[in-house]
Amino acid sequence: MKKIINGLLIALILVAGFSCTKVDNLPGPNAGFKGRIIDKTTSANLITETSGMQIKLEELSYSATPDPQYIPSKQDGTFEDDKLFKGHYRVTPYGGAFWPVDGVELDINGTTSHDFEVTPYLAIKNLTNSLSGTTLTLTFNMVAPIPDGLPQIIDVKPFVNDTQFVGSGANINNYSDVNRITLNSNYSDVVGKTYTLTIPSLKSGRTFYARVGVRVNDSFKQYNYSDIIEVKVP
Amino acid sequence: MKRFKYIITITAGLILASCHKLAVTPLNILSDNAVFSSATGVTAYFANIYSSLPIEDFKYEQNNGFNQDWQNFYHPGALCGELVGPYGSTYDGAGGFGYWPYDKIRTVNVLIETLPKYASSFTDVQKNQWLGEAYFCRAYFYFALAKRYGGIPIIKTVQSYPAPINELQVHRDKEVDVWKFIEDDLDKAYQMMPETSVRGRANRYVAAALESRAMLYAATIAKYGSTNFVAGDARSAGFVGIAASEANAFFQKAIDAAKLLEGKYSLYQKSADKVKNYTDAFLDHDSPENIFVKDYSLPSNTAHSWDATMSPRYMTADGLSRAYPTMEFVERFTSLLITNADGTPKRFTNTGDLMTGLEPRLLATVYFPGATLRGLTFDTQRGLYEHFTGTAAAELSSNPPNQQFRHLSGSTDALFNGKRIIGFTGVSTDGDDKTRTGFYVRKYIDYNKAQADCGLYKSTTSWIDMRYAEVLLNRAEADVELGNTSDALTTINQIRARGGATLATPGDITVNYVRNERCMELAFEKQYWWDIRRWRIADQILDNTRYHALLPFLVLDEGKYIFLRDNEPFQRSYTFEKKYYYEPLPGGELNKNPNLYPNNPNY
Repeated sequence: MKKIINGLLIALILVAGFSCTKVDNLPGPNAGFKGRIIDKTTSANLITETSGMQIKLEELSYSATPDPQYIPSKQDGTFEDDKLFKGHYRVTPYGGAFWPVDGVELDINGTTSHDFEVTPYLAIKNLTNSLSGTTLTLTFNMVAPIPDGLPQIIDVKPFVNDTQFVGSGANINNYSDVNRITLNSNYSDVVGKTYTLTIPSLKSGRTFYARVGVRVNDSFKQYNYSDIIEVKVP
Repeated sequence: MKRFKYIITITAGLILASCHKLAVTPLNILSDNAVFSSATGVTAYFANIYSSLPIEDFKYEQNNGFNQDWQNFYHPGALCGELVGPYGSTYDGAGGFGYWPYDKIRTVNVLIETLPKYASSFTDVQKNQWLGEAYFCRAYFYFALAKRYGGIPIIKTVQSYPAPINELQVHRDKEVDVWKFIEDDLDKAYQMMPETSVRGRANRYVAAALESRAMLYAATIAKYGSTNFVAGDARSAGFVGIAASEANAFFQKAIDAAKLLEGKYSLYQKSADKVKNYTDAFLDHDSPENIFVKDYSLPSNTAHSWDATMSPRYMTADGLSRAYPTMEFVERFTSLLITNADGTPKRFTNTGDLMTGLEPRLLATVYFPGATLRGLTFDTQRGLYEHFTGTAAAELSSNPPNQQFRHLSGSTDALFNGKRIIGFTGVSTDGDDKTRTGFYVRKYIDYNKAQADCGLYKSTTSWIDMRYAEVLLNRAEADVELGNTSDALTTINQIRARGGATLATPGDITVNYVRNERCMELAFEKQYWWDIRRWRIADQILDNTRYHALLPFLVLDEGKYIFLRDNEPFQRSYTFEKKYYYEPLPGGELNKNPNLYPNNPNY
C-alpha cells in the first residue's frame, strides 16, 4: 500500500512539474537603435561625455503613457542600444547641453538608425593651451549659435583626467573643479571675451587629457565641451 | 417506528435551521454605529489616524519612509550637507519613497462624513473639536503630498468602492489649488477646535502653526519656483508650479497664522545657563515651546534609537553612529578661529579650548572636540604630527611640507611613541562609525541617560514636530519677504536672545540672514532638506559640492593641538538635479491610474 502511495505521489509531482512548460514564443528584445546626435551648426557630431546626453525612448506601441527609457550617449556623440523590443517609438534627444527639440515617431525593427540634429547652447572656440612648468593654461571664448533667450551661463570649468575619457563625470577633482570660473552671467556679458583657465601643480612625468566645459542654467545643467587636448607634463 | 424518530429529528433540525434570517450583525466588523456613537469609539478611531500622520520624526528616512528601524542616522540632512555620512550622494534620497497615503485620507474622510450623522450623541463643542481635528489631519496628509509632488488629486469625499473604474481614476489638481485646499482645511480646523488639547493631539494653535509652515512653503514655491523650474507638460498644465503673483498672499497668510500663537506659547527659558537651557529645550517633557509632539514608550514598542545612533559607540551601549555635522553647518554660526594672522595653525593646549566664546546655541546643537557626554570626553583626533611648521594652507595643498611627520590610522588601537594616533571618538577612515568631520550631533541627545541605557530602541525622548521657535521663524521669513523688516528683527532677536547669540541689528535683516537663522535654529530637525528645496537653491548649493571637516591633530614636539579645515575624509560629492524639486509620482499609481499623467517634469 505504502509503495503504491509513494509511487503515485512521485508520479503526481512529476506530472505537476512538467505540466507548466509553456514555451515563451514572444520575440525577445532583438531590435536595436543607433545613430548620431549632430550639431546643426557644424554638421559634425556634438561631442560630449559618456551619458552627457540621452535618447529618450517611449514605446507607444506598448502603452499610450509609457515609462520612458533612455540610451546614454557616448563621448563622440553617438548612441547605440541593441536590446530593444521592436515596436513603434517616440524618440527624443534629451538631457544634454542643447536647445530642447521635439521627438520623432518611428518604428524600431532590426537595427534602426536615425540621426538627430540639435543646436548646442554654446560652443568653445579658439581654444589654445600652453604648459609652463607644471602649470597648464587654457584660453578660449564662447559663441552661442542662438543668443536669444539663452539661460544664464553658470560657469566654465577645466576637466583634467589621466585617460581620454574626461568630462564632468570623469576627472581629477583637484585639477578640475577647484580651477573653475563661476560666471552666473548673461550671454551679452560673455560674448567676445577671452577666458583663461589655469591648472597649476600638474604631476610631473604624466600625460593628462584636458578639455573645457561650459554650462548654462537650463533644466539639466550639462556641459558643452571643447575638444580634448593631450598634455605631457615633463 | 425507529424510522419515524429519525424523520422527526431531521425535520425538526431543518425547521430550526430554516428560521435564521441573515440579518445578524457580524461580530468581527466594527460598524459605524459602534465607532461613532460613543466618545471612546471616536477617540480610538483618532488614535489610528494620529499614529499614521506623516510626522518626520527620529525614525523617518527620506528614501524609505516613516517608522523605519534603528538606523536613525539615515537623516535627510545627510543628503544635503547639513550632515555627512550614511548616504553616498543626494541621489540616494532625492526621489523619495513613493508616499501615497490616500488610504489614510479616506479614513479621515469617513469620519468627516459619518460623525455628523451621530451628532445627537454629543455636544456641539465636542463634535466640532473632532471635526476640526479631522480637518487638521487631512491637511497634514495633503501638506506631506504637496511638498513632494506638487499638484495631486484632492479627494474630500469618501469614494464608493467598488465603483466604475473611471470614477476612481481621478485627475491631478493644480498645485495652487492643493495649497489653497490645505489652507482651507486648516482655517476650518482653527475655527472648530478649542484652545487646548491632550498631549500629542491637535488644538486650534497646532492648526495655526501648521498653517504658517504650509503657507510659507506655498509662498516660496510660488516666488522662487517661477524662476527656477524644469519645463514640462505637468508644469504647463499647472500641476507643478504656482504663479509668482500668488506669493505675497501666501506670505501674508503665513504671518497671520503665526501671529495667532502669540502669547499662547513661549520659548523655553527655564535655566540661566544658556547651553544647558537650549539642550534641555529638546529634552524637557513640559517645555512651553512645544506645540505638537510625538511620544514614544518602551512598552508600546515605539521607542527610537537616537541616543544610540547619533553618538559614538564609545559613549553608548549598542549600535553605531554614521551621520556627522559638517564644518559648513558650524560655519553658519561663525568661522572658527583656527589659524593665526600669519596663516599658521593656532596652537591649543586642549582641543576643547576652541569652544571658548562660541554661541551657546551652537555648543548645544553640536558636540565639539573636547566636549563631554556621560563623563566621557570627545577625544576626537585625526592623527599626530611629530612636528609641524608653516601654514595650514601649505599643509592642505597638493605638496604638504609636513606630511612625512604625519601619522594617521584607521584604528583606535594604533600607537605612535606610546601616544594614541586617533581618538576613541574618531576621526577614523576605517569605516564610518566614528566622526568624519570632527563633530557629533548634540540636539535631542539625552545627556542624563546612563550609558548602559543608551541601547537600540531604548530612547523615548519626544519628537517636537512643531515648536514655537519655528513659528517665529516662519513669521520672520514671510516678514522679510514682504518688507516688514522691523517685525522680522524683533522676532529673530527673541530667538537669538534665547540661544545666547549676539542680537541682530536692523542692517542685518535680509532674506539670507533670516534663512541662515532658520538653518541654525532648526538644525537636524529634518527641515533643512525641505527648506533648500522650497527656496529653490538646492541645485546651486549642491553642485558637485564637497563638505569639510574640522580635523584636530596633536603636534608631538610641542604637546599642543592644531586644527586643519580639510575635505571630509570620504570626499563624497553631492549634486541636486533640478527635477528633484518635485518627486516623481509613484510608478505603481501611474499604472493604476493613467489620468495621473503627465508625471512631473523630467521623470
